[in-house]
Amino acid sequence: MSEFDAIVVGAGPAGTSAASKMASSGLNVLLVERGDPPGSKSVSGGILWGRELSNLYPDWEKSAPLERFISNKVTGFLTEDSYVGIDFKTKKFEREKTGYSVLRTRLDGWMAKKAKEAGATVITGITVDGLAWEDKKVVGIRQADDTITSDVVVLAEGANPRVAIDEGLRAPISDKDVAIGIKQVVKLSEQTINERFNLRNGAGLAAEFSLGFLKNGVMAGGFLYTNKDTISAGVVIDIAGLRKDNKTYSFDIMDQFINHPYIAPYLENGQLQEYSAHLVCEGGINYVPKLYGNGYVIAGDSAGLSFSNGMVIQGMNYAIASGISAAKAAVKCKEKGHYGESDLAYYDELMQHSQAIEDMRKFKGITGVTWSPMIHEFLPKFAENVLHDMFYETGEPKKHLFEIAMENLIGSRYDKKKLLLESYRMMRKM
Amino acid sequence: MNIEEKLSVLNYKTDPTYEHITVNPSICEVCPDNFCTFACPASCYKMIDGKLNFKYEDCVECGTCFVACSHGSVKWTNPKGSQGIKYKLG
Repeated sequence: MSEFDAIVVGAGPAGTSAASKMASSGLNVLLVERGDPPGSKSVSGGILWGRELSNLYPDWEKSAPLERFISNKVTGFLTEDSYVGIDFKTKKFEREKTGYSVLRTRLDGWMAKKAKEAGATVITGITVDGLAWEDKKVVGIRQADDTITSDVVVLAEGANPRVAIDEGLRAPISDKDVAIGIKQVVKLSEQTINERFNLRNGAGLAAEFSLGFLKNGVMAGGFLYTNKDTISAGVVIDIAGLRKDNKTYSFDIMDQFINHPYIAPYLENGQLQEYSAHLVCEGGINYVPKLYGNGYVIAGDSAGLSFSNGMVIQGMNYAIASGISAAKAAVKCKEKGHYGESDLAYYDELMQHSQAIEDMRKFKGITGVTWSPMIHEFLPKFAENVLHDMFYETGEPKKHLFEIAMENLIGSRYDKKKLLLESYRMMRKM
Repeated sequence: MNIEEKLSVLNYKTDPTYEHITVNPSICEVCPDNFCTFACPASCYKMIDGKLNFKYEDCVECGTCFVACSHGSVKWTNPKGSQGIKYKLG
């Protein structure tokens, strides 16, 4: 007889969702979190896209600690001297919300509280050392000299899943599986943020840039997200490019981004509240491990569930959805009184038809585009030069856009065959 | 602001008795790239007088060095209990 029906490792969006759903379905649940309070080890960009939380808490938009709803989405290129971007604002996102900026210590704290209210036992400040096994079945967790037993363990440890890796339940992490995320949260008044970004009534901005000013094949993206009275500014760095260069410091890329002539004014006179770093899952469908086994399931970032095609970035909503699916599988197992591998396969079945896995399957190989010199080197420069030449008055007779584009294409040092191939790939995959 | 100044705004509950990440000096001594020094966002890895110096106290527990070290020197565990980095915002 196990002490708990289920033990959840990690009180992030995946773990708290699983714990809450299982507890409210009558399971005896233990949620173990190493941070104290929950959320004190968590970092994300972070925009919570989508409406997954409504599946757990219908009133979440009123009660969850959300910063601002996103009404303005920017995707652009930054070069040394220029900014080129798509700047999309719509009243439609005021009426029908598509995403909210969040700060994870607050969000995860709230979600852990909700799991507790649903009936889960939440213990914090406890680091799980590993899993307890019996006859090739996971029967609980190990912590110091202690074993706590359960019928199923939900591993929701985040992007650096020590237990899952050490227990051999997922492959170790390689360069292409993750990127280095670095963030600074900068304090400004709500009014200053509203004025600088032209925002009103709780509306917010989510802006992402490809950093075309980086050299020697180093690739990174930058982001600016407005919170209520802070701005989250950060970078996401490709590890393979950084390794190949082996001269650029990750934290210097962060500095270069916030000191860019078109980023710095947004952050001017802001006070640094927090500096943080976190791995960002980038490996796509190939990085997703087997999601279940005898007595365990893996959810959220631990399962590599995240997605970016350069325009859209998703992670927390997948985590919540996977936590809910893990809970559904556990509830079904409880009804059957059996938590074997074939029973927990139901989690996999749910996930294979989930938005997360469908997205990741559909966009398989997308990192070949999002982390390509096309996006991070050629396009930023090309866009800058074409627009410059179009708007710069020389007093000479004007040229067609096509002429300007062709001149810049021919003048570019970029390999033309590679360009053709990468353009094709981009149009197919993005 | 340099990286040391940025880290100084953070709260840590440092465990004096347990280094949650350890490196193997005999591997680092002959390391051809020292990529950890470039990759670590908290600058915990520094070359001082041609020798690698690792400081676990400044670690923000991101896991970058675990991926960055391709020579098997970095042994990564989570800090014990609630010790280590303590974010207020996340």
